[in-house]
Amino acid sequence: MEPIRPDVKRAILNANPQASPDDIAEYERLLSLRFTQDPDASSPAAAPFAAGIGAPDPEERLLELHDKLFPARAQRLLAGNH
Amino acid sequence: MPDPVIEILRAGDTGKPNPFTICIVANPVLEAPWKSERFVVDAMPTNPALFSQRCQYVVDCLFGRLAGQAEKLLADPLIAPYVRIVSLLADGLPAEDANALAAEDGTSSLLIPRRTRFLPFLVRYGLTADIAYVISQSAEHNRASAFFTTDNDASPGIAFTLDGPTLTHRFHCLIPGTIAIHATSSSLTALHEFGHALSSYTNGGIVDLYVDSPVDFNNLRGRPVPGAFRTYNGVAYQSDPVRDGLSYPPGWQSYHCELNAPAFPAVMDDYFLSGTVPEACEQDKITRQFLRDRLIAKIGR
Repeated sequence: MEPIRPDVKRAILNANPQASPDDIAEYERLLSLRFTQDPDASSPAAAPFAAGIGAPDPEERLLELHDKLFPARAQRLLAGNH
Repeated sequence: MPDPVIEILRAGDTGKPNPFTICIVANPVLEAPWKSERFVVDAMPTNPALFSQRCQYVVDCLFGRLAGQAEKLLADPLIAPYVRIVSLLADGLPAEDANALAAEDGTSSLLIPRRTRFLPFLVRYGLTADIAYVISQSAEHNRASAFFTTDNDASPGIAFTLDGPTLTHRFHCLIPGTIAIHATSSSLTALHEFGHALSSYTNGGIVDLYVDSPVDFNNLRGRPVPGAFRTYNGVAYQSDPVRDGLSYPPGWQSYHCELNAPAFPAVMDDYFLSGTVPEACEQDKITRQFLRDRLIAKIGR
């Protein structure tokens, strides 16, 4: 997964005073985690290296962090779903 | 519908019926958002000149030919002549599931490869791949991502040991390593994603080193950071005790292998934080050896 460029990180934090560098770090960790386990494996045993960290379903937390870091985008996506 | 354009960018090992092959595809259709089953046409196939230029970027990045690039893994004379690279541009395909090789993530600006769609798509054009890139011109999603290879663990390969247990650099895959990148991608992005894609879900994964990742081939967890990292094929590798150039954030448990270029982040780390020259970054020592061995196993099949 391509890292976020430093200037983009700064822009996210400047635009969202409610967000912190720790929020970005957790958001990035959860996004990256998606790719560490075979999404098409028939069983977790087929991915023995991916000793998981994070919650069983990190997608909900990811959505929370997305909405915190990118509130305008979240609103736009929400509007697009109605 | 225009005829598809298939170009052989590098012939690779013409003496083999199934040489190690990297395919680069102009993404015909996007799933937007990811996992929605909603599909829209991607603009990339309508811009052949731009696609050709971006294919050249991928090839240059893989072979270490960007300005100031230090990491030249595929330029190794034992590897370079045997890497086949093919590009595919098919314009005018309908916006449907089978033609969507990339998706726009609903919770980020990531482009995500739809990994199970690649082989059936390529087979339609008489192609196959060990690694496949798809290049998109998505309007809003511009960050690259990659899935590791799903090895065919019933196929032969070259065995190796990792801290005792034996694993295998498999010759063949069930699902190729897949990468989705944007037409504006630059710097080491194509090479960073290649590191992920060439690795394996069952025989060693190469994870991101710029987040507190889970244990995998190139990342271990624990504190304090021990001196020894891992022993790969009988060779002991040391840890990077300080994550040279960046330092480990407080609270992290991850630690990495010693670097080839200690003044710069590893390629699998945040190369954008290397200052003004991301291209000076190199793979860490164990990652470079692992990727090299895996390539040599596959090209020797």
